[in-house]
Amino acid sequence: METQELLDRIAINVVQGRVEAEDEGFDEGFENQPAVIELVEEALENGISPSDILIKGLTSSMTVVGEKFETGEYLIPDMLASAEAVGAGMDILTPHLLKAGIESKGKFVIATVSGDLHDIGKNIVAIMLKGAGYEVVDLGVDVPASRIIETVKKHNAPYLGLSALLTTTMRNMDEVIDGLKEAGLRNQTKVCIGGAPTSQDFADQIGADKHCNDAFAVLDWLKAAA
Amino acid sequence: MITIAEKINATIPSVKKIIETRDRGKLLELARTQSKAGADYLDVNVGTGTGSRQDEIDSMRWAVTMIQEEVETPLCIDSADPDVLAAGLAARDGRPALINSTKGSDEHLNKVVPLAREYGQPLVGLAMDEEGIPATVTARVAACSKIVSTCAENRVGMDNVFFDPLVLPVSTDVKQGLVTLETIRALKEQFQKAHIVMAVSNVSFGLPERRIFNTAFLHMAIFAGLDTAILDVLNPDLMGAIKTAEAIMGRDRHCRKYARFWRNR
Ligand code: B12
Repeated sequence: METQELLDRIAINVVQGRVEAEDEGFDEGFENQPAVIELVEEALENGISPSDILIKGLTSSMTVVGEKFETGEYLIPDMLASAEAVGAGMDILTPHLLKAGIESKGKFVIATVSGDLHDIGKNIVAIMLKGAGYEVVDLGVDVPASRIIETVKKHNAPYLGLSALLTTTMRNMDEVIDGLKEAGLRNQTKVCIGGAPTSQDFADQIGADKHCNDAFAVLDWLKAAA
Repeated sequence: MITIAEKINATIPSVKKIIETRDRGKLLELARTQSKAGADYLDVNVGTGTGSRQDEIDSMRWAVTMIQEEVETPLCIDSADPDVLAAGLAARDGRPALINSTKGSDEHLNKVVPLAREYGQPLVGLAMDEEGIPATVTARVAACSKIVSTCAENRVGMDNVFFDPLVLPVSTDVKQGLVTLETIRALKEQFQKAHIVMAVSNVSFGLPERRIFNTAFLHMAIFAGLDTAILDVLNPDLMGAIKTAEAIMGRDRHCRKYARFWRNR
Protein backbone atom coordinates (compact mmCIF):
# COMPACT_ATOMS: atom_id res chain seq x y z
CA MET A 1 0.00 0.00 0.00
CA GLU A 2 1.16 3.55 -0.69
CA THR A 3 2.11 5.74 2.28
CA GLN A 4 -0.86 8.07 1.94
CA GLU A 5 -3.31 5.21 1.51
CA LEU A 6 -1.96 3.49 4.61
CA LEU A 7 -2.25 6.62 6.73
CA ASP A 8 -5.78 7.18 5.43
CA ARG A 9 -6.72 3.62 6.22
CA ILE A 10 -5.38 4.03 9.76
CA ALA A 11 -7.43 7.21 10.15
CA ILE A 12 -10.59 5.51 8.85
CA ASN A 13 -10.12 2.65 11.29
CA VAL A 14 -9.67 5.04 14.19
CA VAL A 15 -12.98 6.65 13.26
CA GLN A 16 -14.53 3.18 12.96
CA GLY A 17 -13.06 2.32 16.37
CA ARG A 18 -11.38 -0.90 15.25
CA VAL A 19 -8.36 -2.19 17.18
CA GLU A 20 -7.73 -5.46 15.35
CA ALA A 21 -8.95 -7.27 12.27
CA GLU A 22 -11.70 -9.27 13.98
CA ASP A 23 -13.36 -6.13 15.40
CA GLU A 24 -16.50 -4.78 13.90
CA GLY A 25 -16.66 -1.06 13.21
CA PHE A 26 -19.28 1.61 13.72
CA ASP A 27 -20.45 0.81 10.19
CA GLU A 28 -21.18 -2.66 8.95
CA GLY A 29 -18.88 -4.78 6.83
CA PHE A 30 -15.42 -4.09 8.28
CA GLU A 31 -14.92 -7.46 9.99
CA ASN A 32 -11.70 -9.30 9.15
CA GLN A 33 -10.14 -6.39 7.31
CA PRO A 34 -6.87 -5.06 8.72
CA ALA A 35 -7.50 -2.60 11.56
CA VAL A 36 -5.30 -0.17 13.51
CA ILE A 37 -2.84 -2.75 14.89
CA GLU A 38 -2.26 -4.47 11.55
CA LEU A 39 -2.06 -1.21 9.61
CA VAL A 40 0.31 0.52 12.05
CA GLU A 41 2.59 -2.51 11.90
CA GLU A 42 2.50 -2.45 8.12
CA ALA A 43 3.25 1.28 8.12
CA LEU A 44 6.31 0.75 10.32
CA GLU A 45 7.50 -2.07 8.06
CA ASN A 46 7.14 0.25 5.07
CA GLY A 47 9.42 2.71 6.81
CA ILE A 48 6.86 5.45 7.46
CA SER A 49 8.07 7.59 10.36
CA PRO A 50 6.45 6.86 13.74
CA SER A 51 5.54 10.51 14.25
CA ASP A 52 3.76 10.65 10.86
CA ILE A 53 1.83 7.53 11.78
CA LEU A 54 0.96 9.09 15.12
CA ILE A 55 -0.17 12.45 13.86
CA LYS A 56 -1.46 11.91 10.32
CA GLY A 57 -2.84 8.45 10.99
CA LEU A 58 -3.86 7.99 14.59
CA THR A 59 -4.77 11.27 16.19
CA SER A 60 -5.90 13.71 13.50
CA SER A 61 -9.09 11.72 12.96
CA MET A 62 -10.17 12.14 16.59
CA THR A 63 -11.54 15.51 15.49
CA VAL A 64 -13.92 13.67 13.18
CA VAL A 65 -14.94 11.45 16.09
CA GLY A 66 -15.62 14.53 18.22
CA GLU A 67 -17.76 16.06 15.49
CA LYS A 68 -19.76 12.89 15.06
CA PHE A 69 -20.36 12.79 18.81
CA GLU A 70 -21.45 16.41 18.80
CA THR A 71 -24.04 15.82 16.08
CA GLY A 72 -25.37 12.81 17.97
CA GLU A 73 -24.30 10.31 15.32
CA TYR A 74 -21.74 8.75 17.69
CA LEU A 75 -22.58 7.55 21.16
CA ILE A 76 -20.21 7.35 24.11
CA PRO A 77 -19.19 3.73 23.41
CA ASP A 78 -18.30 4.76 19.86
CA MET A 79 -15.97 7.50 21.19
CA LEU A 80 -14.51 4.97 23.58
CA ALA A 81 -13.91 2.48 20.77
CA SER A 82 -12.00 5.13 18.81
CA ALA A 83 -9.97 6.07 21.88
CA GLU A 84 -9.13 2.39 22.36
CA ALA A 85 -7.99 2.14 18.74
CA VAL A 86 -5.67 5.14 19.18
CA GLY A 87 -4.33 3.63 22.41
CA ALA A 88 -3.58 0.31 20.70
CA GLY A 89 -1.71 2.12 17.94
CA MET A 90 0.25 4.17 20.45
CA ASP A 91 1.30 1.03 22.31
CA ILE A 92 2.99 -0.18 19.13
CA LEU A 93 4.54 3.19 18.34
CA THR A 94 5.83 4.02 21.83
CA PRO A 95 9.10 2.04 21.68
CA HIS A 96 9.81 3.56 18.27
CA LEU A 97 9.18 7.08 19.52
CA LEU A 98 11.48 6.67 22.49
CA LYS A 99 15.14 7.10 21.78
CA ALA A 100 17.00 4.79 24.11
CA GLY A 101 19.72 5.82 26.49
CA ILE A 102 19.68 9.61 26.40
CA GLU A 103 20.67 11.53 29.48
CA SER A 104 17.71 12.83 31.47
CA LYS A 105 16.78 16.41 30.83
CA GLY A 106 14.83 16.54 34.07
CA LYS A 107 11.63 15.34 35.63
CA PHE A 108 8.27 16.20 34.08
CA VAL A 109 5.10 15.45 36.04
CA ILE A 110 1.99 15.16 33.90
CA ALA A 111 -1.67 14.54 34.75
CA THR A 112 -5.21 14.91 33.55
CA VAL A 113 -6.92 17.00 36.19
CA SER A 114 -9.62 15.93 38.62
CA GLY A 115 -12.98 14.97 37.10
CA ASP A 116 -11.56 14.42 33.62
CA LEU A 117 -11.00 11.01 32.03
CA HIS A 118 -9.55 12.04 28.67
CA ASP A 119 -5.99 10.83 28.30
CA ILE A 120 -5.15 10.36 24.63
CA GLY A 121 -3.67 13.83 24.23
CA LYS A 122 -1.84 13.68 27.54
CA ASN A 123 -0.38 10.27 26.65
CA ILE A 124 0.94 11.59 23.36
CA VAL A 125 2.60 14.49 25.11
CA ALA A 126 4.09 12.08 27.67
CA ILE A 127 5.52 9.82 24.98
CA MET A 128 7.02 12.72 23.04
CA LEU A 129 8.58 14.06 26.22
CA LYS A 130 10.09 10.68 27.02
CA GLY A 131 11.36 10.52 23.48
CA ALA A 132 13.03 13.89 23.93
CA GLY A 133 14.81 12.69 27.07
CA TYR A 134 12.62 13.87 29.94
CA GLU A 135 11.90 11.62 32.89
CA VAL A 136 8.12 11.58 32.82
CA VAL A 137 6.03 10.88 35.90
CA ASP A 138 2.56 10.21 34.51
CA LEU A 139 -0.14 10.30 37.17
CA GLY A 140 -2.95 9.24 34.84
CA VAL A 141 -6.46 10.68 34.73
CA ASP A 142 -8.84 12.25 37.23
CA VAL A 143 -5.97 13.22 39.52
CA PRO A 144 -6.82 15.39 42.53
CA ALA A 145 -4.83 18.58 42.94
CA SER A 146 -3.37 17.38 46.25
CA ARG A 147 -1.81 14.34 44.60
CA ILE A 148 -0.31 16.39 41.80
CA ILE A 149 1.26 18.76 44.31
CA GLU A 150 2.60 15.93 46.48
CA THR A 151 4.21 14.35 43.44
CA VAL A 152 5.85 17.55 42.27
CA LYS A 153 7.21 17.98 45.76
CA LYS A 154 8.42 14.41 46.12
CA HIS A 155 10.32 14.49 42.81
CA ASN A 156 11.35 18.08 43.10
CA ALA A 157 10.15 18.33 39.53
CA PRO A 158 11.05 21.42 37.50
CA TYR A 159 8.15 20.85 35.08
CA LEU A 160 4.44 20.13 35.43
CA GLY A 161 1.94 19.55 32.62
CA LEU A 162 -1.81 19.60 33.11
CA SER A 163 -4.41 18.31 30.70
CA ALA A 164 -8.18 18.91 30.56
CA LEU A 165 -10.62 18.25 27.73
CA LEU A 166 -13.82 19.46 29.33
CA THR A 167 -14.84 23.05 29.85
CA THR A 168 -16.03 21.96 33.27
CA THR A 169 -12.75 20.39 34.39
CA MET A 170 -10.30 22.96 33.01
CA ARG A 171 -11.33 25.07 36.00
CA ASN A 172 -9.66 22.52 38.25
CA MET A 173 -6.25 23.59 36.93
CA ASP A 174 -6.70 26.73 38.93
CA GLU A 175 -6.70 24.76 42.14
CA VAL A 176 -3.44 23.01 41.24
CA ILE A 177 -1.64 26.29 40.64
CA ASP A 178 -2.95 27.78 43.88
CA GLY A 179 -1.83 24.64 45.71
CA LEU A 180 1.64 24.92 44.24
CA LYS A 181 1.85 28.49 45.49
CA GLU A 182 0.69 27.49 48.96
CA ALA A 183 3.27 24.71 49.09
CA GLY A 184 5.94 27.20 48.07
CA LEU A 185 6.70 25.28 44.88
CA ARG A 186 5.44 27.68 42.26
CA ASN A 187 8.76 29.42 41.67
CA GLN A 188 10.76 26.25 41.12
CA THR A 189 8.18 24.52 38.90
CA LYS A 190 7.22 25.63 35.40
CA VAL A 191 3.64 24.80 34.51
CA CYS A 192 2.22 24.24 31.05
CA ILE A 193 -1.34 23.31 30.23
CA GLY A 194 -3.09 21.72 27.27
CA GLY A 195 -6.26 20.14 25.97
CA ALA A 196 -8.78 21.38 23.43
CA PRO A 197 -10.78 23.89 25.51
CA THR A 198 -7.72 25.59 27.03
CA SER A 199 -5.96 28.61 25.54
CA GLN A 200 -3.11 31.02 26.23
CA ASP A 201 -5.67 33.48 27.61
CA PHE A 202 -6.85 30.87 30.04
CA ALA A 203 -3.27 30.03 30.99
CA ASP A 204 -2.64 33.70 31.76
CA GLN A 205 -5.85 33.91 33.73
CA ILE A 206 -4.96 31.07 36.10
CA GLY A 207 -1.29 31.94 36.24
CA ALA A 208 0.18 29.03 34.29
CA ASP A 209 3.41 29.66 32.40
CA LYS A 210 2.34 28.40 29.02
CA HIS A 211 -0.47 26.95 26.95
CA CYS A 212 0.55 24.37 24.35
CA ASN A 213 -1.52 23.41 21.32
CA ASP A 214 0.22 20.12 20.88
CA ALA A 215 3.20 18.02 21.87
CA PHE A 216 5.57 19.87 19.57
CA ALA A 217 4.72 23.15 21.22
CA VAL A 218 5.75 21.69 24.58
CA LEU A 219 9.12 20.68 23.22
CA ASP A 220 9.69 24.14 21.70
CA TRP A 221 8.73 25.76 24.97
CA LEU A 222 11.04 23.49 26.96
CA LYS A 223 13.90 24.19 24.59
CA ALA A 224 13.37 27.93 25.01
CA ALA A 225 12.99 27.59 28.79
CA ALA A 226 16.14 25.52 29.27
CA MET B 1 -27.75 -15.33 19.60
CA ILE B 2 -28.82 -17.51 16.73
CA THR B 3 -32.20 -16.59 15.26
CA ILE B 4 -34.58 -18.93 13.48
CA ALA B 5 -37.31 -17.24 11.42
CA GLU B 6 -40.68 -18.80 12.11
CA LYS B 7 -42.92 -17.63 9.29
CA ILE B 8 -42.66 -20.45 6.74
CA ASN B 9 -45.02 -22.66 8.68
CA ALA B 10 -48.05 -24.28 7.10
CA THR B 11 -50.04 -24.14 10.29
CA ILE B 12 -50.49 -20.46 9.34
CA PRO B 13 -53.47 -20.43 6.91
CA SER B 14 -51.85 -18.10 4.34
CA VAL B 15 -48.73 -20.28 4.27
CA LYS B 16 -50.83 -23.44 4.00
CA LYS B 17 -52.25 -21.99 0.80
CA ILE B 18 -48.78 -21.17 -0.52
CA ILE B 19 -47.75 -24.78 0.01
CA GLU B 20 -50.91 -26.31 -1.44
CA THR B 21 -50.88 -24.14 -4.57
CA ARG B 22 -47.08 -24.34 -4.93
CA ASP B 23 -46.91 -20.53 -5.02
CA ARG B 24 -43.18 -20.10 -5.61
CA GLY B 25 -43.29 -16.29 -5.66
CA LYS B 26 -44.93 -15.92 -2.27
CA LEU B 27 -42.75 -18.61 -0.72
CA LEU B 28 -39.62 -16.82 -1.88
CA GLU B 29 -40.92 -13.49 -0.67
CA LEU B 30 -41.29 -14.95 2.83
CA ALA B 31 -37.81 -16.41 2.60
CA ARG B 32 -36.21 -13.21 1.33
CA THR B 33 -37.78 -10.77 3.80
CA GLN B 34 -36.89 -12.97 6.76
CA SER B 35 -33.38 -13.51 5.49
CA LYS B 36 -32.92 -9.77 5.01
CA ALA B 37 -34.14 -9.14 8.56
CA GLY B 38 -31.10 -11.06 9.78
CA ALA B 39 -32.36 -14.60 10.33
CA ASP B 40 -29.62 -17.19 10.80
CA TYR B 41 -31.97 -20.02 9.81
CA LEU B 42 -35.31 -20.10 8.03
CA ASP B 43 -37.69 -22.59 9.57
CA VAL B 44 -39.56 -24.66 6.96
CA ASN B 45 -42.63 -26.51 8.19
CA VAL B 46 -44.93 -27.70 5.41
CA GLY B 47 -47.28 -29.88 7.45
CA THR B 48 -50.70 -28.61 6.37
CA GLY B 49 -52.47 -31.06 8.65
CA THR B 50 -54.80 -32.19 5.86
CA GLY B 51 -52.66 -33.99 3.28
CA SER B 52 -51.03 -37.40 3.39
CA ARG B 53 -47.50 -38.20 4.54
CA GLN B 54 -46.44 -38.38 0.90
CA ASP B 55 -47.93 -34.90 0.34
CA GLU B 56 -45.80 -33.50 3.16
CA ILE B 57 -42.70 -35.22 1.79
CA ASP B 58 -43.32 -33.75 -1.68
CA SER B 59 -44.03 -30.32 -0.24
CA MET B 60 -40.82 -30.38 1.82
CA ARG B 61 -38.75 -31.31 -1.24
CA TRP B 62 -40.40 -28.56 -3.24
CA ALA B 63 -39.98 -25.87 -0.57
CA VAL B 64 -36.34 -26.70 0.18
CA THR B 65 -35.42 -26.79 -3.50
CA MET B 66 -37.19 -23.51 -4.31
CA ILE B 67 -35.83 -21.55 -1.36
CA GLN B 68 -32.23 -22.55 -1.67
CA GLU B 69 -32.18 -21.65 -5.37
CA GLU B 70 -32.69 -18.01 -4.38
CA VAL B 71 -31.77 -17.47 -0.74
CA GLU B 72 -28.44 -18.17 1.00
CA THR B 73 -29.72 -18.51 4.57
CA PRO B 74 -29.55 -22.09 5.91
CA LEU B 75 -32.83 -23.87 6.56
CA CYS B 76 -34.31 -25.35 9.69
CA ILE B 77 -36.15 -28.42 8.43
CA ASP B 78 -39.16 -28.76 10.65
CA SER B 79 -41.48 -31.75 10.92
CA ALA B 80 -42.75 -34.19 13.50
CA ASP B 81 -42.34 -36.93 10.88
CA PRO B 82 -38.81 -38.36 10.49
CA ASP B 83 -39.47 -39.31 6.85
CA VAL B 84 -40.29 -35.70 6.03
CA LEU B 85 -37.09 -34.59 7.77
CA ALA B 86 -35.13 -37.12 5.71
CA ALA B 87 -36.69 -35.84 2.48
CA GLY B 88 -35.83 -32.24 3.35
CA LEU B 89 -32.25 -33.13 4.24
CA ALA B 90 -31.78 -35.08 1.02
CA ALA B 91 -33.11 -32.19 -1.06
CA ARG B 92 -30.44 -29.82 0.22
CA ASP B 93 -27.62 -28.65 -2.02
CA GLY B 94 -25.01 -29.37 0.66
CA ARG B 95 -25.64 -26.27 2.73
CA PRO B 96 -25.90 -26.63 6.51
CA ALA B 97 -29.35 -27.21 7.95
CA LEU B 98 -30.86 -27.65 11.37
CA ILE B 99 -33.01 -30.76 11.92
CA ASN B 100 -36.16 -29.82 13.83
CA SER B 101 -36.82 -32.08 15.76
CA THR B 102 -36.73 -35.22 17.84
CA LYS B 103 -38.31 -35.78 21.21
CA GLY B 104 -37.12 -37.96 24.06
CA SER B 105 -39.03 -41.09 23.01
CA ASP B 106 -37.29 -44.19 21.64
CA GLU B 107 -39.39 -44.44 18.53
CA HIS B 108 -38.54 -40.90 17.48
CA LEU B 109 -34.95 -40.86 18.63
CA ASN B 110 -34.04 -44.04 16.76
CA LYS B 111 -35.13 -42.50 13.49
CA VAL B 112 -34.07 -38.86 13.84
CA VAL B 113 -30.68 -39.08 15.56
CA PRO B 114 -29.28 -41.36 12.81
CA LEU B 115 -30.29 -38.65 10.31
CA ALA B 116 -28.16 -36.14 12.20
CA ARG B 117 -25.33 -38.67 12.07
CA GLU B 118 -25.81 -39.49 8.38
CA TYR B 119 -26.02 -35.89 7.18
CA GLY B 120 -23.64 -34.44 9.74
CA GLN B 121 -26.13 -31.72 10.70
CA PRO B 122 -27.25 -30.44 14.11
CA LEU B 123 -30.62 -31.33 15.54
CA VAL B 124 -33.22 -29.93 17.91
CA GLY B 125 -34.22 -32.15 20.83
CA LEU B 126 -37.52 -31.38 22.53
CA ALA B 127 -37.78 -31.81 26.30
CA MET B 128 -40.72 -34.20 25.98
CA ASP B 129 -41.22 -37.93 26.30
CA GLU B 130 -43.74 -40.57 25.20
CA GLU B 131 -46.43 -39.02 27.36
CA GLY B 132 -46.08 -35.47 26.12
CA ILE B 133 -44.69 -32.33 27.72
CA PRO B 134 -43.68 -32.98 31.34
CA ALA B 135 -44.93 -30.49 33.91
CA THR B 136 -41.74 -30.43 35.97
CA VAL B 137 -38.17 -29.34 35.41
CA THR B 138 -36.78 -32.72 36.51
CA ALA B 139 -38.90 -34.63 34.02
CA ARG B 140 -37.99 -32.27 31.16
CA VAL B 141 -34.30 -32.63 31.93
CA ALA B 142 -34.78 -36.43 32.09
CA ALA B 143 -36.28 -36.38 28.58
CA CYS B 144 -33.24 -34.45 27.38
CA SER B 145 -30.87 -36.91 29.10
CA LYS B 146 -32.44 -39.65 27.03
CA ILE B 147 -31.71 -37.65 23.89
CA VAL B 148 -28.13 -37.25 25.08
CA SER B 149 -27.66 -41.03 25.42
CA THR B 150 -28.96 -41.74 21.93
CA CYS B 151 -26.76 -38.99 20.53
CA ALA B 152 -23.75 -40.50 22.30
CA GLU B 153 -24.55 -43.93 20.81
CA ASN B 154 -24.71 -42.36 17.37
CA ARG B 155 -21.61 -40.24 17.95
CA VAL B 156 -23.49 -36.98 17.53
CA GLY B 157 -21.59 -34.39 19.58
CA MET B 158 -23.29 -32.19 22.17
CA ASP B 159 -22.31 -29.06 20.25
CA ASN B 160 -24.63 -30.34 17.52
CA VAL B 161 -27.62 -30.56 19.82
CA PHE B 162 -30.13 -27.75 20.41
CA PHE B 163 -32.36 -28.51 23.40
CA ASP B 164 -35.82 -27.00 23.42
CA PRO B 165 -37.07 -26.68 27.03
CA LEU B 166 -40.59 -26.06 25.63
CA VAL B 167 -42.85 -23.18 26.44
CA LEU B 168 -46.43 -23.43 27.65
CA PRO B 169 -48.81 -20.50 28.12
CA VAL B 170 -48.56 -18.79 31.48
CA SER B 171 -52.24 -17.86 31.19
CA THR B 172 -53.28 -21.48 31.73
CA ASP B 173 -50.65 -22.39 34.34
CA VAL B 174 -48.87 -19.57 36.07
CA LYS B 175 -45.89 -21.79 36.98
CA GLN B 176 -44.98 -22.53 33.38
CA GLY B 177 -42.77 -19.49 32.74
CA LEU B 178 -40.52 -20.48 35.59
CA VAL B 179 -40.50 -24.17 34.60
CA THR B 180 -39.10 -23.21 31.19
CA LEU B 181 -36.54 -20.80 32.64
CA GLU B 182 -35.33 -23.31 35.22
CA THR B 183 -35.18 -26.05 32.61
CA ILE B 184 -32.93 -23.80 30.52
CA ARG B 185 -30.65 -23.21 33.46
CA ALA B 186 -30.49 -26.89 34.40
CA LEU B 187 -29.79 -28.00 30.82
CA LYS B 188 -27.08 -25.37 30.40
CA GLU B 189 -25.46 -26.57 33.62
CA GLN B 190 -25.53 -30.27 32.77
CA PHE B 191 -24.77 -30.11 29.07
CA GLN B 192 -22.53 -27.10 28.73
CA LYS B 193 -21.68 -27.59 25.06
CA ALA B 194 -25.28 -27.97 23.93
CA HIS B 195 -27.35 -25.08 22.59
CA ILE B 196 -30.70 -24.05 24.01
CA VAL B 197 -33.43 -23.06 21.60
CA MET B 198 -36.97 -21.93 22.23
CA ALA B 199 -40.01 -20.54 20.46
CA VAL B 200 -40.82 -17.34 22.27
CA SER B 201 -44.40 -16.32 21.64
CA ASN B 202 -46.30 -19.27 23.10
CA VAL B 203 -45.69 -17.99 26.62
CA SER B 204 -48.09 -15.05 26.25
CA PHE B 205 -50.97 -16.93 24.62
CA GLY B 206 -54.28 -15.60 25.90
CA LEU B 207 -52.85 -12.47 27.54
CA PRO B 208 -52.99 -8.76 26.64
CA GLU B 209 -49.88 -6.78 25.60
CA ARG B 210 -48.18 -9.89 24.31
CA ARG B 211 -45.16 -8.03 22.97
CA ILE B 212 -44.24 -6.80 26.45
CA PHE B 213 -44.73 -10.26 27.88
CA ASN B 214 -42.69 -11.87 25.09
CA THR B 215 -39.75 -9.48 25.29
CA ALA B 216 -39.55 -9.79 29.08
CA PHE B 217 -39.56 -13.57 28.78
CA LEU B 218 -36.89 -13.46 26.11
CA HIS B 219 -34.63 -11.30 28.30
CA MET B 220 -35.00 -13.69 31.22
CA ALA B 221 -34.45 -16.75 29.06
CA ILE B 222 -31.24 -15.30 27.60
CA PHE B 223 -30.00 -14.62 31.11
CA ALA B 224 -30.79 -18.24 32.01
CA GLY B 225 -28.77 -19.54 29.06
CA LEU B 226 -30.90 -19.41 25.93
CA ASP B 227 -28.68 -18.93 22.86
CA THR B 228 -31.09 -19.58 20.00
CA ALA B 229 -34.63 -18.33 19.44
CA ILE B 230 -37.41 -19.25 17.04
CA LEU B 231 -39.29 -16.02 16.50
CA ASP B 232 -40.77 -13.45 14.17
CA VAL B 233 -37.56 -11.86 12.93
CA LEU B 234 -39.57 -9.03 11.37
CA ASN B 235 -40.75 -7.93 14.80
CA PRO B 236 -38.47 -5.11 16.01
CA ASP B 237 -39.54 -5.61 19.63
CA LEU B 238 -38.25 -9.16 19.69
CA MET B 239 -35.13 -8.57 17.62
CA GLY B 240 -34.45 -5.46 19.72
CA ALA B 241 -34.90 -7.52 22.88
CA ILE B 242 -32.18 -9.89 21.69
CA LYS B 243 -29.76 -7.02 21.02
CA THR B 244 -30.61 -5.51 24.40
CA ALA B 245 -30.01 -8.75 26.26
CA GLU B 246 -26.75 -9.37 24.41
CA ALA B 247 -25.47 -5.94 25.40
CA ILE B 248 -26.54 -6.36 29.03
CA MET B 249 -24.89 -9.80 29.11
CA GLY B 250 -21.64 -8.16 28.02
CA ARG B 251 -21.49 -9.93 24.69
CA ASP B 252 -21.73 -6.82 22.49
CA ARG B 253 -18.43 -4.93 22.59
CA HIS B 254 -18.95 -1.19 22.66
CA CYS B 255 -22.70 -1.90 22.26
CA ARG B 256 -22.07 -1.90 18.51
CA LYS B 257 -24.85 -4.29 17.51
CA TYR B 258 -27.38 -2.74 19.86
CA ALA B 259 -26.69 0.80 18.63
CA ARG B 260 -26.59 -0.22 14.98
CA PHE B 261 -29.88 -2.09 15.25
CA TRP B 262 -31.74 1.04 16.33
CA ARG B 263 -29.77 3.31 14.00
CA ASN B 264 -30.78 1.23 11.00
CA ARG B 265 -34.50 1.33 11.77
C1 B12 C 1 -12.15 10.28 22.97
C2 B12 C 1 -13.11 11.17 23.72
C3 B12 C 1 -13.71 10.68 24.88
C4 B12 C 1 -13.33 9.33 25.48
C5 B12 C 1 -12.00 9.51 26.24
C6 B12 C 1 -11.17 8.24 26.26
C7 B12 C 1 -9.76 8.50 26.61
N1 B12 C 1 -9.11 7.45 27.05
O1 B12 C 1 -9.22 9.59 26.50
C8 B12 C 1 -14.55 9.07 26.43
C9 B12 C 1 -15.59 8.24 25.72
C10 B12 C 1 -14.22 8.39 27.77
C11 B12 C 1 -15.12 10.46 26.60
C12 B12 C 1 -16.00 10.78 27.63
C13 B12 C 1 -16.60 12.02 27.74
N2 B12 C 1 -16.51 13.05 26.85
CO1 B12 C 1 -15.24 13.12 25.42
N3 B12 C 1 -14.27 13.27 23.83
C14 B12 C 1 -13.42 12.48 23.23
C15 B12 C 1 -12.97 13.13 21.90
C16 B12 C 1 -13.78 12.48 20.77
C17 B12 C 1 -11.51 13.03 21.52
C18 B12 C 1 -10.50 13.58 22.52
C19 B12 C 1 -9.14 13.20 22.04
O2 B12 C 1 -8.60 12.18 22.46
N4 B12 C 1 -8.59 13.95 21.07
C20 B12 C 1 -7.32 13.64 20.39
C21 B12 C 1 -6.11 14.18 21.18
C22 B12 C 1 -4.84 13.81 20.46
O3 B12 C 1 -6.23 15.57 21.23
P1 B12 C 1 -6.19 16.43 22.58
O4 B12 C 1 -6.74 15.64 23.69
O5 B12 C 1 -6.75 17.74 22.32
O6 B12 C 1 -4.63 16.56 22.88
C23 B12 C 1 -3.71 17.34 22.13
C24 B12 C 1 -3.64 18.80 22.57
O7 B12 C 1 -4.82 19.28 23.15
C25 B12 C 1 -2.48 18.86 23.49
N5 B12 C 1 -2.65 18.49 24.90
C26 B12 C 1 -3.59 17.75 25.51
N6 B12 C 1 -3.31 17.61 26.79
C27 B12 C 1 -2.17 18.25 27.02
C28 B12 C 1 -1.44 18.42 28.18
C29 B12 C 1 -0.28 19.16 28.16
C30 B12 C 1 0.52 19.32 29.38
C31 B12 C 1 0.13 19.75 26.95
C32 B12 C 1 1.35 20.56 26.95
C33 B12 C 1 -0.57 19.59 25.79
C34 B12 C 1 -1.72 18.83 25.82
O8 B12 C 1 -1.60 17.97 22.91
C35 B12 C 1 -2.32 16.82 22.46
C36 B12 C 1 -1.58 16.19 21.33
O9 B12 C 1 -1.52 17.01 20.19
C37 B12 C 1 -13.35 14.63 22.15
C38 B12 C 1 -13.67 15.44 20.90
C39 B12 C 1 -12.45 16.17 20.37
N7 B12 C 1 -12.38 16.26 19.09
O10 B12 C 1 -11.60 16.64 21.12
C40 B12 C 1 -14.56 14.47 23.07
C41 B12 C 1 -14.94 15.60 24.02
C42 B12 C 1 -13.68 16.20 24.64
N8 B12 C 1 -15.73 14.90 25.04
C43 B12 C 1 -16.77 15.59 25.44
C44 B12 C 1 -17.71 15.14 26.40
C45 B12 C 1 -18.92 16.02 26.62
C46 B12 C 1 -17.52 13.94 27.11
C47 B12 C 1 -18.43 13.39 28.22
C48 B12 C 1 -18.92 14.41 29.24
C49 B12 C 1 -19.59 12.66 27.55
C50 B12 C 1 -20.68 12.21 28.48
N9 B12 C 1 -21.86 12.75 28.25
O11 B12 C 1 -20.47 11.40 29.35
C51 B12 C 1 -17.52 12.32 28.88
C52 B12 C 1 -16.73 12.91 30.06
C53 B12 C 1 -15.91 11.90 30.77
C54 B12 C 1 -14.98 12.56 31.72
N10 B12 C 1 -15.38 12.70 32.99
O12 B12 C 1 -13.90 12.99 31.34
C55 B12 C 1 -16.83 16.94 24.75
C56 B12 C 1 -16.40 18.10 25.67
C57 B12 C 1 -17.31 19.30 25.53
C58 B12 C 1 -16.95 20.39 26.46
N11 B12 C 1 -17.19 21.58 25.98
O13 B12 C 1 -16.49 20.22 27.55
C59 B12 C 1 -15.94 16.70 23.49
C60 B12 C 1 -15.25 17.97 22.96
C61 B12 C 1 -16.86 16.11 22.42
C62 B12 C 1 -17.91 17.07 21.89
N12 B12 C 1 -17.65 17.64 20.74
O14 B12 C 1 -18.93 17.26 22.50
N13 B12 C 1 -14.68 11.31 25.62
